[in-house]
Amino acid sequence: MIRLIRRLALSATCLALTAGIAGAWTLEEAAKPYKGTQISVIFLDRPGYRAIMKMLPDFEKRTGIKVNYEIVPYESTLEKEVRDFSSNGDLTVALVDLVWIGTFADSDYIVSIDDLKKQFPNIFDPNYELSDFFPLLLNAFGTWNGTVYGPPFDNYSGLLFYNKKMLKDAGFDKPPDTWDDLLKVFAPKLTQNGKFAYALQSRRGETQSCDSFMRFIWPWGGSLLDAKFKSNLLSQQSQEGLNFRQQLIKYMPPGIVDFDHIEAVNALAQGQVAMITEWSAFYSTLADPKSSKIVDDLGVAPEPKGPAGRKPALGGFSLAVAKQANDNQKAASWLFIQWATSKDTAKEYVENGGVSGRQSTYKDPELVKKYPFIEPMVESWQQGVPEFRPRFAEWPQLSEIVAEVGTNMMIGSTSIKQGSEEIGKRVEDVLSKAGYYDGKKKLAQ
Amino acid sequence: MPTAKKSYSTGAFWFVAPAMIVLLVVGIIPLLFALWTSFQQFILPKVHFKGAFAGIWPIFDAPFVWLSNYRDLLFDESFRDALGRSFLFLIINLPIQVILGLIIALLLHRPGHEWLKNVTRIALVIPMATTFAVVGLIGRLLFNGDFGINNYFWNLFFGHKMEWLADPNLAFVSISIMDCWQWTPFCALVLFSSLTMVPIEIEEAAKLETDRWWHILRKVQLPFLLPGITAILILRTADILKMFDVVFIMTRGGPGAATELISIYIQRIGFRSFEQGMASAQAIVLLIITIILSRLYIRFIYREV
Repeated sequence: MIRLIRRLALSATCLALTAGIAGAWTLEEAAKPYKGTQISVIFLDRPGYRAIMKMLPDFEKRTGIKVNYEIVPYESTLEKEVRDFSSNGDLTVALVDLVWIGTFADSDYIVSIDDLKKQFPNIFDPNYELSDFFPLLLNAFGTWNGTVYGPPFDNYSGLLFYNKKMLKDAGFDKPPDTWDDLLKVFAPKLTQNGKFAYALQSRRGETQSCDSFMRFIWPWGGSLLDAKFKSNLLSQQSQEGLNFRQQLIKYMPPGIVDFDHIEAVNALAQGQVAMITEWSAFYSTLADPKSSKIVDDLGVAPEPKGPAGRKPALGGFSLAVAKQANDNQKAASWLFIQWATSKDTAKEYVENGGVSGRQSTYKDPELVKKYPFIEPMVESWQQGVPEFRPRFAEWPQLSEIVAEVGTNMMIGSTSIKQGSEEIGKRVEDVLSKAGYYDGKKKLAQ
Repeated sequence: MPTAKKSYSTGAFWFVAPAMIVLLVVGIIPLLFALWTSFQQFILPKVHFKGAFAGIWPIFDAPFVWLSNYRDLLFDESFRDALGRSFLFLIINLPIQVILGLIIALLLHRPGHEWLKNVTRIALVIPMATTFAVVGLIGRLLFNGDFGINNYFWNLFFGHKMEWLADPNLAFVSISIMDCWQWTPFCALVLFSSLTMVPIEIEEAAKLETDRWWHILRKVQLPFLLPGITAILILRTADILKMFDVVFIMTRGGPGAATELISIYIQRIGFRSFEQGMASAQAIVLLIITIILSRLYIRFIYREV
């Protein structure tokens, strides 16, 4: 009897102890063995990164981990990271753009979350909840071939930003719901006296291939590639979309093929155009009286629907632990990633200008009210296309081809049909060399 | 003593060694590495770093493909187009820069207005001293369609605006203007310093003989200018063939491929497609072309005074 009681008491104590430990997971405790570890990451000069930089001192104080970051322009980031990872450089965290996940995963640059969990079970916050992220985002930015590498960190959706006053003056009390309305009803009335209805950032580069070209393919039911990875640009749907873009050009400011994000955002902010479709992250620029003249008239809506529904531009970055880091750095890097994307920091992150990828963050009514872009953005994330741009390693090459011929189409130096043929041929060349057509490579995008 | 044996003391060796070592590490080894890579199928995300030989020569597991990169680039239409574009750029811009530079140099060489000339000489250094990236950004602002100063004046005189960076031909003109802005002063300064080498007595004597300035220029000054002109031709040709920063920032090679000069194209192959082997082969070909051009300049233009 006594023995039984003793045994019971012992197990009760054990239970209490385990419960105590589990309940008491804290960042400070988990980070103790890694105090003084230095980790390195690349940041961009964008609101989401400025937000986390502001919050970093808190993390460093609580953990004793030093986060070294370097700010790099987006266009050089991939180059810099690939160089670093292929020569055992010093980056311990990979900043993974949606379109780089295939390259980074296939080249073995990043560690999957499952592998990390096996190696360092103690650093994982039991309340982290990966399933809280929008499935579309986690799938598109952080997952490749069914393996999850990192949580979404800096998240974007394409949104329709518009000037309420200009629309009202032209007799519209709400923004267009479909692209067709935008072209046929809104555009003619809004284009007058040196003002234009719409601006589409189309500069050669990722801006042309992603923001301009792809935006007019998906909503029409088209796509860059078909199921066998052959070009699908000559399909009726893709052609309709591209022809639509061409028709829209006469309602855009002249010189639109030289508009990058900055120019498009400025055109709206200065009252030169009535509508733009831009990344959600530009909300803070447009809502800031220092950079915008239309703060009070700024409206935000989801991107218009095409014949195939609403398929807005999808973009964003995840953070993943780099394989080249040593064990301490790997653990410290995950602690940083986990902290930066945790539920606890999400609200502060949004208030500092970041865009969290967690569903729970946007259930806060106060936050939704304060930031008008949240509602349309959350709506966009319900129904996007993860492969809006193919995410395999060959995308940068395809992007260059699309950017070159795409700008040529817009300025009319090649016709839509000829241009599509040219892109198709060159794209298939690249994919054939990469081994997609002879079964050497899995058809994953 | 004609039979004295030439001998180098170790002292002399140690004086030259630092310069040689720096040149080796900074110039020669990377060049040899590029040559080595150009024989490989070196696709950056697909190769792995395997350590360094003797601590300086990085080893990667890229497959060796002999000359196939060189063969491929012969059939690469985009490469030929980009090379052609670079030559067009060279043929248009180099004469403009030399002629404008010569005019400025001759003006500076005229007696009088010492103070003004000093100010001009300082001002001439500014464009050259400006970082390429900044020149590109200035270019983007100057040629901006909506609020650029060029369009402001164009509008004032002609009553309409031009799409400088969005039109294929005008974009080419725009990057040419920026290049001339930045490098004409260089030509002017080099030629001006050559003009100061002309012995004063000869020049004065010539001025007594004739009052036609182009006679003086051709018969008296030109021989002294030739070494300078050769230097300009060599340096500017090499610079224009590898011109990258300004164009990348102003147009990124667009619209279409209108301003895709050869270096922009090589960068695209090397750092967007990550085909380092192919990009190295292209860079080596470019280097060979530059060397041949330089030899030609020296052979046909350079004359000792």
